[in-house]
Amino acid sequence: MNTKRDLLVLFALAGWALAVPHYGSEFAVSMALTCLMYATLSSSWSLFCGSTRYLSLATSAFFGIGAYCSALSLEQLGWLGAIGLGAAIAAAVAVVMGAAVLHLRGTYFAVLTFGMTELIRHAITTWEKQVTGTVGRVLTVVPERDTVYLTVLGLAVLAILASILVRRSRFGLAMAGIGADEQRAQTLGVNTRLVKISGFALTAAFAGAVGAAMSVRWTYIDPATVFNPFIGFQTVLIALIGGAATLWGPLLAAVVFSLLAETLRLQLPQLYMMTLGLLLILSVLYLPGGLASLRRETFTMWRDDIRSGWRELRAGKAKKVPA
Amino acid sequence: MNGHPLLEARGVTVRFGGLTAVDQVSAAFAPGELVGIIGPNGAGKTTFFNALSGVIEPSEGELFALGQRLTGAKPHRFAQQGIARTFQTPRVFAELSVAANIDFGLQFAGRHRQASWLLKDETSILNLIGLAAQAALPAAAITPSQQRLLEIGMALATRPKLLLLDEVAAGLTESEIESMAQLIRRLRDDLDLSVIWIEHAVTTLLRHVERVLVLHQGRKIADGTPAEVVRNAEVVEAYLGDEMVDVA
Repeated sequence: MNTKRDLLVLFALAGWALAVPHYGSEFAVSMALTCLMYATLSSSWSLFCGSTRYLSLATSAFFGIGAYCSALSLEQLGWLGAIGLGAAIAAAVAVVMGAAVLHLRGTYFAVLTFGMTELIRHAITTWEKQVTGTVGRVLTVVPERDTVYLTVLGLAVLAILASILVRRSRFGLAMAGIGADEQRAQTLGVNTRLVKISGFALTAAFAGAVGAAMSVRWTYIDPATVFNPFIGFQTVLIALIGGAATLWGPLLAAVVFSLLAETLRLQLPQLYMMTLGLLLILSVLYLPGGLASLRRETFTMWRDDIRSGWRELRAGKAKKVPA
Repeated sequence: MNGHPLLEARGVTVRFGGLTAVDQVSAAFAPGELVGIIGPNGAGKTTFFNALSGVIEPSEGELFALGQRLTGAKPHRFAQQGIARTFQTPRVFAELSVAANIDFGLQFAGRHRQASWLLKDETSILNLIGLAAQAALPAAAITPSQQRLLEIGMALATRPKLLLLDEVAAGLTESEIESMAQLIRRLRDDLDLSVIWIEHAVTTLLRHVERVLVLHQGRKIADGTPAEVVRNAEVVEAYLGDEMVDVA
């Protein structure tokens, strides 16, 4: 793995993104912010889920927890304090959630994380209705646009930096071992439970921080907005389409999809979701490694596949004709 | 050593629903022993191994490593206590290189353990198992018999005191089996490892081990030298048949 090259690419991209608020229009900055949000979410999701192959649908839970933390504590703790609190509470929830469900694999794990996300959303709705007598929060003091942008950019850089560093660490090796053969990794001395819970908490901390930073964009938040399962689904789709096992795949797909989302969603919202769904199916069937695994050979392979399929089809027809 | 056996099973029982796969098996293994476990299909050999390495928690009974209680501990604790195992079907990390597969054990259970110079690093382990030439290949690309050697190498990388080998000679040719047996003897002699070796090919096994446990329907029906075991009436009836007596 070429760590030096990865770091250089990261800093070059970050520098470029840093310049956006200075020359970009309001629309361009907002689009870049969406890109960065999904880049952070899907890169940090892949950091744990891509290597261990535990498919978590709980991203929107952590995002929403972060958003609520910042809505409740922004005035007392200040901007960075609120984001830190969002990350910490999201990570703490992930530890509890992970301890409860991380012994399950595959579909069971995915479904339970989704169920717990819904549980948290409804719990907060009920709590608001019963205890505080409101639904939602109004954020009165919000930081400037550029502050939000730079914060989310910082989180994106941190998420990718964390992925680069984790990949070359024992922690990363342990997660890769869990993804390949969990029991084998265990018999070679990996404390799999500890590794899984830590990885899950790390992912959640990033989602919580992003949620905390993004909440100020709405000025008014309620559970339906910030715990929107769509945020979780889109994170997973982006990571899978980009290639959850790769470093740059999730980032690449996040950029592509945020642009696609902003352009298509305004005019044709259904078309955007259909495109996303179609691309997911195609990538799972024909490109399981995601966009980042695309190589020249992939195209040659597809071409040969299509050719041989076509030939078989014609041969089949030719046989039928005499009969 | 503190006078305790390296690994001791006391009345270990494993049940799957109504089926008792391992039934009240007790056995102790001393440092430097080379022990074979034989028994017909379904006798509970692999299940017993799973219990000895923490992969399955026994329904009843206790496990001790050097006197320390390990019952109910997770497999990584067994590995950290110096108990390493291989699996019947090689479970190598197919996408990693052969060298990285070895490195995995060195990074985890083997990390802070004392090691003989033969297990000093990746290279020395690869030399020991004879896969130095394949170091850079992905583990998926080497032959099945090489994968079996790699399994042993991965286990050795945890720098164990006790090695549990589950049918490492299955599917190998006559000469490969012979060199596998040489390797296992060498591990015991040069590394002072205890080895417990399950094998379906009984004749091979009896030629190389010094002590044999015989499992039948989950129970231990004999425990002794190969010569004693092949003359044991119960073993002959249950499993070996008369012609086996000649072997030992």
